[in-house]
Amino acid sequence: MNRIERHPLLRPANSARRVAFFFDGEALEGFEGEPVSSTLIACGRHIFSRHARDGAPQGIFCANGQCSQCTMLIDGIPKKACMTPLAAGMDVRSLKGLPVLPASDEKLAQAERRSIRTDIFIIGGGPAGLAAAIELGNLGYQVVLADDKTSLGGKLVLQTHKFFGSESDCYAGVRGYEIAKKLEEKARHLPSVSLLSNAPVVGLYKDRKAGIFLNFESYVLVEFTALIVAAGAREKALRFPGWDLPGVIGAGAFQTLVNRDLVKPYEKIMIVGSGNVGLIAAYHALQAGIGVVGIFEAAGRISGYRVHADKIRRAGVPLFLNATIVKAEGDGRVERANVAAVDEHFQPIPGTRRTYDVDAVLVAVGLAPCNEFLEQARRYGIMAVAAGDAAEIAEASSAMYGGKTAAIELARMLGRNVEFHPEWEATRRVLASRPGDSYERAPSIPGAEWRPVFYCSEEIPCNPCATVCPSHSITLKNLRGTIMDLPYFSGERCTGCGACVAICPGLAITLVRRVSEEVAEVVLPWEFNLDVAVGAQMDLVDQGGAFVERAALVAMRSVRARETWLLTFRVSASNASRIAGIRARSRPEFAPRPALTEHEDSILDMVICRCERVTLREAVEFIRKHKLRDANQLKSIRVGMGACGGKTCSQLIAAAFALAGIDPACVEPLTQRPLFMEVPMGALVNEGMHRLGGKEAGARGAP
Amino acid sequence: MKNFDVVILGAGSVGLPLAWQLAERGFSVAVLDEEASWGRGQNRAAIGGVRATHSDPAKIRVCLDSIAIFSSLRQKYGLDVEWRAGGYLYVAYDAKTEAQFRSLLEVQKTAGLSIDWIESGLIQNLAPGISAEGLRGGTFSPGDGYASPLMAASAFHELACRAGAAFFFNARVEGFKTRGENILSVRAGGEDFCASLFINASGAKASDIAKLAGFELPVFPDCHEAGVTEPIERFMEPMIVDVRADAESGNYYFYQAETGQVVFCVTPRPQVWGRDKDSTSGFLPLVVRRMLELYPRLRNLRVRRTWRGMYPMTPDGLPILGYPESEKNFLQIVGMCGQGFMLGPGLGTIVASAISNGSSYAQPAGRTAYGPIFEELSIARDFDHIELLK
Repeated sequence: MNRIERHPLLRPANSARRVAFFFDGEALEGFEGEPVSSTLIACGRHIFSRHARDGAPQGIFCANGQCSQCTMLIDGIPKKACMTPLAAGMDVRSLKGLPVLPASDEKLAQAERRSIRTDIFIIGGGPAGLAAAIELGNLGYQVVLADDKTSLGGKLVLQTHKFFGSESDCYAGVRGYEIAKKLEEKARHLPSVSLLSNAPVVGLYKDRKAGIFLNFESYVLVEFTALIVAAGAREKALRFPGWDLPGVIGAGAFQTLVNRDLVKPYEKIMIVGSGNVGLIAAYHALQAGIGVVGIFEAAGRISGYRVHADKIRRAGVPLFLNATIVKAEGDGRVERANVAAVDEHFQPIPGTRRTYDVDAVLVAVGLAPCNEFLEQARRYGIMAVAAGDAAEIAEASSAMYGGKTAAIELARMLGRNVEFHPEWEATRRVLASRPGDSYERAPSIPGAEWRPVFYCSEEIPCNPCATVCPSHSITLKNLRGTIMDLPYFSGERCTGCGACVAICPGLAITLVRRVSEEVAEVVLPWEFNLDVAVGAQMDLVDQGGAFVERAALVAMRSVRARETWLLTFRVSASNASRIAGIRARSRPEFAPRPALTEHEDSILDMVICRCERVTLREAVEFIRKHKLRDANQLKSIRVGMGACGGKTCSQLIAAAFALAGIDPACVEPLTQRPLFMEVPMGALVNEGMHRLGGKEAGARGAP
Repeated sequence: MKNFDVVILGAGSVGLPLAWQLAERGFSVAVLDEEASWGRGQNRAAIGGVRATHSDPAKIRVCLDSIAIFSSLRQKYGLDVEWRAGGYLYVAYDAKTEAQFRSLLEVQKTAGLSIDWIESGLIQNLAPGISAEGLRGGTFSPGDGYASPLMAASAFHELACRAGAAFFFNARVEGFKTRGENILSVRAGGEDFCASLFINASGAKASDIAKLAGFELPVFPDCHEAGVTEPIERFMEPMIVDVRADAESGNYYFYQAETGQVVFCVTPRPQVWGRDKDSTSGFLPLVVRRMLELYPRLRNLRVRRTWRGMYPMTPDGLPILGYPESEKNFLQIVGMCGQGFMLGPGLGTIVASAISNGSSYAQPAGRTAYGPIFEELSIARDFDHIELLK
């Protein structure tokens, strides 16, 4: 079983019941209630179906209910495996060709229209949506918040790392999934706020109503006065030959499998993109015991936080700049990935191709706001405000402030005389800041007393070390006057309590003290499984991951509140102030080999529309033939007509126009229409509520 | 200033096949449209049904011609429009409807339509799972069918281009220059287009265009919503039409496209006049309830998308084909009442043939045998007869 049995932070739910089910007739086992897709992956089944058009293997892609790539026949009915909870005895089958409509011919017993009415409807229960709900609930508004996932918190639920920002503003130093719980609890306590999970919004309508596919079994219309769109973001796709193979997935999708469902989908992965999402995904992979051959960044610099990148390097993962993936290959799923160095125009440089043996490629090339509901609302003349990633792609900490300010903005639009808090917007902006300048730090010489050493040299919005220090000995050097400023030891006294080491989200603080002329002690944070005892020898590295010395572990303690180990090593005094971390494991052999061919695959053979399997070549030829200036016309070759509703291909259509020699800026964009997710007809009229006896309909999804 | 023999206003269901037919006959043709590409007015919203099953002989005749064109595009021109002759099935669940359908059969057959009354058992074969309770039978016309409006529009655009027609998109009509009873030129998208004949094929915008030219057209758009499901293995052949009305809706109809999706539409009651293209929350619960009452096994079929378009209605439900008294070189082919997709190709052939045979204000059908059609659909008719199978 490909499951994560042991994780430094996450525990498999003990209550989950093992149940048997069938996959194409073969008896397998999984945990009741987990998504069928994750069960299959845990059972080592990565090819779910074959596409009706060309037999291409289909597997997990978004793991988020958006793309429909994982559609399978479940108890005879086509459903998304990633949104269908496993039940005992379930009959799961690959889709081969088109599904057959079951002959369930019993008369329609009941058709019911269900609707609810509220002042404010919030789409999305991530940090922005929850923060907005809390603010509006405090103002006494009737609020309905709908989120498509089982747990509220949005992507916070998947984040096992400690958050940046400040403790007072946004729970800095707390792990993402803990922040999600705190926010949800706050919102739940407000009497006028209703939180709906498992409630994807499938349509927004002109008559100021939204349709919810509640529990994936019934259809509820929400009538509202005003709207907050906090639907988050979706991962940008990167096109390269082989990008449609099972095993090429978004970094967020990977985190869903690993951190939410605790499956170990892959053994050895490659990550494309060095933003925070890619860097964090690498760390999560390591925590789950998955090898990372490297992070490849086409640009000349790392785009995420330096502290994240350092953390990854110290763990032994190389970061390659000016390099990117050129092809993924394999028989039915990813088995190899080819990379190449790129020039300043991001074009591969001949002769630089290398092949890595990997079973997955994580794409982390940025996020795009899910703003289609906002655009629609504006077109319909509905009062609406966006918050969080749906408004601007930034950190979750900033999204919380986005939610608060959106709530106030909406209340004021509704005529309520509430005070606008300019400082909230200021905080939101600071928290959304891209990394600022970097500063050299003067080398520190260990003395007889404990002293913190900072490996935090780039301005990012973060200060919990300063607020956690019991003797107030850490302060930010006042250059900008915000939490972007860097921390310095300013006090007389360090008790060596380690609070700063344990809270630092970047793992960028150590404690050092000299114990003799030659010998010093260094305290390092550790967030992996700990399989060693005092006395063990471990490889210690500097800020960027270069080996410094092998040293003995002399003390260890767990800081429970931070779920972090503090490990004390005895090292040579001359090295103490440059030892920043511990290599996670001896550097594994992840060396590439020369690529078999330098042959350049024509990108024209790539699939541009994954749902309908339309190639870039077909799109470009159609554009040329008809001298097209309207993306909607591509629908006649079925681009954008698939189950995903154009969510993935709409990002790639511009490339097709550009290749056909047409400036994408003068192309009419694809029109988005409801539904945003397919809903069975029986659910649309709520016949199942009657047929299956209300709530007993259970976890089996739509009838 | 650009010069053409014919300027067609509207690159839609009517204008596209007409442009093709005219260009084929050697006319220099310009097609102007305010959208960014062809078929983006109401063609994009058509569900794709093509039937000659009407109660009016002129429409039967025109649509038989359309069917001949749709069904031959692949063989003759190598263009796939996903045409399938699945037939049209009008189901009768009460005596009144049965009598109504039966009463039309003679007129329909006389006009050349292949249609007959079929019993419940045969209906079950054509559409397995359809509710048998109270089903009295229905009329079935096996030559009717359906095609993809998107692909058909692209095919007609391609054929028109191949034949030499010129298209001008993002060209909104701003006004006309006239001399006496003739139009000299039309201004659109900042350019003047001269021609000896102008044709209004602008669908839901027909009366606005007429107004710019200085006359009134009784064409009033109303809004209809439609939807499409995921594709599934073929399980039914015909377009099913249930003409029964209930408190919230008139008739509704659906079919399974060549590619497997079920496409559906319902007539709202009361009619929704206007030009709103945005989906409303009432459509799905309404149309789906009605479809499931008729065809319960659709319950497991997932709806993928909905959209909304307009039916450019005339007072009597019949199209308008002819020249207005005031603008004698401005042919109107408008007011398709939601049937532009099925009427367009046939009308294109008939009109192109009439034009090349000397069509004019005095003699709209030219020297062709289409006189009765032009007469029946004349702009000067009394709009008092109501088309039964509207």
